[in-house]
Amino acid sequence: MIDILSGIQSTAAALDAERTRLDVISENIANADTTHGPDGKPYQRQVVVFESALQQAMNGVQIPTLRVAGIERDPTPSEMVYEPGNPDADAHGMVAMPNVNVQEEMADMISASRTFDANLAVVKNARDMAEQVLAIGKH
Amino acid sequence: MTPLAVIQPPMSAYGLTSGGSITPSLPAMPAEQPGALAPAQPSGDSFSTVLGKMVAEVNDKQISAAQTVNNLQAGGNVSLHQAVIAMEEANVSFQLMVEVRNKLLDAYQQIMQMQI
Repeated sequence: MIDILSGIQSTAAALDAERTRLDVISENIANADTTHGPDGKPYQRQVVVFESALQQAMNGVQIPTLRVAGIERDPTPSEMVYEPGNPDADAHGMVAMPNVNVQEEMADMISASRTFDANLAVVKNARDMAEQVLAIGKH
Repeated sequence: MTPLAVIQPPMSAYGLTSGGSITPSLPAMPAEQPGALAPAQPSGDSFSTVLGKMVAEVNDKQISAAQTVNNLQAGGNVSLHQAVIAMEEANVSFQLMVEVRNKLLDAYQQIMQMQI
């Protein structure tokens, strides 16, 4: 196969990974106030872990790329809030809130979105380069 | 080097007769000696085979791009950027094919208009 847009494989993998990260961040923000999960415990913040990998290209060459190694739980303990009216409150009226900090998640979201943008710029640049090279033949 | 070869190099000079790749380095021109103008018998595939392979590849890319977009619209396991990248790849390879075809016609017309 012709390698039309070189380096696009690693960029596509990075776009995939950043999208997963954005999905997880949106899950964290959505559950910022969830005090009761399926296991009866408050929601725990999730963190995406990336790892570098080698991908076999069509011509047999190994291309360095990355993938999502896993989605881990943030072990930070839950914050206890005094809210006696909450059905999840314990005997002292304390409720364990999720360990999600919405401000932190917003900052993470900006970072993920900018990284996504940067990878899109790489795709666009590869496309423009290919088109400029093809324009050599035009009079 | 004869002037003819400078103005319009033989097809083998485009690197299209050596294997399936479109842009390898130019094959070494035969040294200047009497009778060197006649091009040597190409060792790899013929130009038409290579061109046919390339058109088939471009077609494959178009089909896979269409499939990716269909999959995306049908709610399959395809992300938006994958579909757009597949479309861009199909687009650029199509442009490359059109460019090769333009060059080919150009060469043909230059030869046809040659004053003898």
